[in-house]
Amino acid sequence: MLPEIGHFSLLISFVFAICLAIFPMIGAQKKIVEFVALAKPLVYANFALLSVAFFCLSWAFYHNDFSVTYVAMNSNSDLPWYYRLSAVWGAHEGSLLLWVWILSLWTAGVAFFSASLDDEDVARVLAVMGFIAIGFLAFVIFTSNPFERTFPLYPIDGRDLNPLLQDIGLIIHPPMLYMGYVGFSVAFAFAVAALIGGKLDATWARWSRPWTLSAWGFLTAGITLGSWWAYYELGWGGWWFWDPVENASFMPWIAGTALIHSLAVTEKRGAFKSWTVLLAISAFSLSLLGTFLVRSGILVSVHAFASDPTRGLFILIYLLAVIGGALTLYAWRADKVVSTHRYKLFSREVLLFINNVLLVAALIVVLLGTLLPLVHKEIGLGSISIGAPFFDKVSSIWFIPFILVLSIGPFVRWKQDRFSRIRNKLLVGIVPAIIVALTCYLTLQINTFFSLLGVVLATWLAALVIYELITSSKNNPLPLTHWGMSLGHLGFAALVIGIAITKVASVDKSVRISPGQSVTVENYVFNFTKVEQFQGPNYSAYHAHFDVSNGSDTFSLKAEKRYYKMHSNVMTEAGINAGLWRDIYISLGEQLDGKAWAVTANVKPFVRWIWLGGLLMVLGSIMCILDKRYRKVLAWREQKTAQPAASNTMAAENAVSKVASDTVIEQRIKFE
Amino acid sequence: MKKLFIALLSFSFVLITSVAQAVEESYPFDDAKQQKIFGELVEELRCPKCQNQNIADSNAMVAIDLKNKTYELVKQGQSKDQVIDFMVQRYGQFVHYDPPINMVTIWLWLVPIVIALALVLFVLKKGRREKESTGVDAESLEQAQALIDKFESKGKS
Amino acid sequence: MKNYKLLIPIVAFLLVSIFLYKGLYSDPTNIENANLAKPFPQFQLADLMDENKLYTKQDLLGEYTLINVWGTWCVTCRVELPFMTQLRQQGIKIVGVYYDNAAEAAFGELDVRNTRKDVTQMLAQLGNPFQFNIYDEKRDLSLDLGVTGAPESFLIDDKGTIIAHRRGAIDHRVWQNEFAPLFPSASGSQQSLEQN
Repeated sequence: MLPEIGHFSLLISFVFAICLAIFPMIGAQKKIVEFVALAKPLVYANFALLSVAFFCLSWAFYHNDFSVTYVAMNSNSDLPWYYRLSAVWGAHEGSLLLWVWILSLWTAGVAFFSASLDDEDVARVLAVMGFIAIGFLAFVIFTSNPFERTFPLYPIDGRDLNPLLQDIGLIIHPPMLYMGYVGFSVAFAFAVAALIGGKLDATWARWSRPWTLSAWGFLTAGITLGSWWAYYELGWGGWWFWDPVENASFMPWIAGTALIHSLAVTEKRGAFKSWTVLLAISAFSLSLLGTFLVRSGILVSVHAFASDPTRGLFILIYLLAVIGGALTLYAWRADKVVSTHRYKLFSREVLLFINNVLLVAALIVVLLGTLLPLVHKEIGLGSISIGAPFFDKVSSIWFIPFILVLSIGPFVRWKQDRFSRIRNKLLVGIVPAIIVALTCYLTLQINTFFSLLGVVLATWLAALVIYELITSSKNNPLPLTHWGMSLGHLGFAALVIGIAITKVASVDKSVRISPGQSVTVENYVFNFTKVEQFQGPNYSAYHAHFDVSNGSDTFSLKAEKRYYKMHSNVMTEAGINAGLWRDIYISLGEQLDGKAWAVTANVKPFVRWIWLGGLLMVLGSIMCILDKRYRKVLAWREQKTAQPAASNTMAAENAVSKVASDTVIEQRIKFE
Repeated sequence: MKKLFIALLSFSFVLITSVAQAVEESYPFDDAKQQKIFGELVEELRCPKCQNQNIADSNAMVAIDLKNKTYELVKQGQSKDQVIDFMVQRYGQFVHYDPPINMVTIWLWLVPIVIALALVLFVLKKGRREKESTGVDAESLEQAQALIDKFESKGKS
Repeated sequence: MKNYKLLIPIVAFLLVSIFLYKGLYSDPTNIENANLAKPFPQFQLADLMDENKLYTKQDLLGEYTLINVWGTWCVTCRVELPFMTQLRQQGIKIVGVYYDNAAEAAFGELDVRNTRKDVTQMLAQLGNPFQFNIYDEKRDLSLDLGVTGAPESFLIDDKGTIIAHRRGAIDHRVWQNEFAPLFPSASGSQQSLEQN
């Protein structure tokens, strides 16, 4: 019964989404108050309905209802309860349901926190989000219904969840990632609504910022988790492979990073408005493109869902409607956007724009690198592969200007500045950079040009960020956004250091080894003590035990090889001793003749810093969102009476900036 | 099923046949330079049968064969490019993760550069235009801006 | 519309969509073999059944020959054996390249006698399409041919140039579409096959 309720909720929600896309939009354009007032109730109803649907599917998984095809395909009664629940998003249909539920969550969030905005503006935004929901709901209902039954026959037990996904990292990785992807729909909806309404002032930027920052934070967390998961679960110690599906999550992240910086300029200085709108559209469009790439099976990837041209075609038509629609609207309306703000060549505005240009260039490299093999084959030139060697080559050149601009940016004043003013400040970072680089060169044998340069520039950046924090917090307490920005930049520095060092200084040894023997890698002696058989709830396994020591540091590790019988699938669980300065990583290969095993032992210096960098960036985004300026913006009650001071200041601010820019324009006209 | 498990687990490297007391490296080298070349090659060559894996990470039969062949060629003293050529001749360009530069792949480099230059030029041009037109009333502009700044900082506190 | 720059994003997006659409209907795992239109590689390998009998490329020349890479461990290979046996009866020269399974070969001195027993048994049961089988013990020939697994088939002309390649099983449809038209007496062999 419950699956039918879930299915029914989906259907009603589909109808509501259509209403949401149509009536509030008409209401906002034609000033029909009743239509405008429909928006929020429809949004809340949709959220409730989809929550019911999601609950019904979870219930079916929890209670092993194998009469539901999707449950039978992706769960098993031997599966522990927490994996049964995470199996809800373990395959195509359920993950799509998670997607639409998260979309309804974001939409409800916008409706809830928008009391300080005009009802008409909110109605437009919600209508755009309703339009986005239509496509995904239709996709779930017509091509990928998770509630389909197996009746009249149904299996006694299910086929089990893909063993790769039976892991804590994979329980939280997809929801985080989807929160990020779908979260960009808010900025998208604000941009499109602003284009439709013709109101492209600083308000929409101020409004989009906290939403975009949270989406970006979630996406960063999702990607970081995915990378960490790949590291310990796939058994080869890699953390990024430039796989098309990884690229699909990286592209919206780059666009989102550019967007949060460009929004800052648009909000504070009113510049680059049209550019910011384009980025807002791009970030969500790239999320959608990623969905298409993952679910249509047009690219060869380790992560891809089962391919199906019909589904692919459906999403492609949807992409044409949403992205094509938004970009057409952009081409049509964006030239009405005039940025009145003036700035000189050496100013924070320009540096932020150059940062944006570099990010967009990186974005295009990833986009082309992902799609070009397809083009190459389609025009008859044969199959090619574009992977790590290419992307590594490009990014090692690209990060140099990026990190330079990033380091200088926060010191430079808005509007205009002189380089001579900040020159001495920049020198502060040079001493630590040289010391750290020398240490790396001497102790870790970091000897390639680009990795040394990476360490130098990243240390320089980190030193400048800290220096800037100290000097500017001396006079008056800094707003949380400032701390957030600095933390984010420190995270980037940590990431660069981690990549630069681990790429060059990691050492691995693949050996054939029997219990009782030992192998030495970089001063660490790995003693293979024993192999044990082990019976898990839904798998059987070999555990290989090692005692590892470098004299001062001694610990034992367990590397595992699991066999999942339902999928007849072999999985490796690496034995990892994690540390801030180095990871010790053992992965168990195949059993060779006799008692010997193929084993790879790795020492990976600084590999943690990669995820530490991601974590710092996430913390940075959280701090920014918690800043009190956004509490004003994200009011959920009418605060005009309760807090007259706050809203009055805002009104005053707007009025003054308007007067000021009018004065400027007047003066210009006079002059001309 | 159990049998299958054993079969899967017993995949191994063909090269290793002798039984010795000391631990053997799977691909031993005397020459550190050759070792480095080998390490790079197995990460840059793609397993032609797998979803998307290099031959270092894959245990597919063809990946193991390619790894062994790479080892053999590097041991013979062949350079990195020679080994890549050898593989590309047999398995096509698909086998190497770094595509050759041709009429299509050159755009991988050109498009980002052209777009970045175009955007930078756009800003520079705009900036120069502003400079010319605002040359005289810069003072009033600054006054207006100061006014904005003053009110914004008030709004913040 | 005054500002043509604003059109760039939508035009770029539409261009990308065309390729995305085309990509939907092409299989990304279908990678063409790099040896097509090139001469068959040189080799010197023993007969699967008799290690004293050696074959070289010379043994494949003189007429159009279908080279089939296969192994008894490979399930798909079993599927195509009966159809290929029919082809042999039509007078097509088929030579097997026996592709050993690494899982078994791992144990070093894999008993070739066991393999021979398996092969004899399977061919007796499903039909024997092969004029002879080349034992590619170390899979060197297969590597030279760019083989990624079994079954794979190559058609070579009388001068030893590879003119067709197929990854996966050959059935009636594949043969008629991709292989039969390449024979000089295409019409003849086609007719005789259609009678079946």
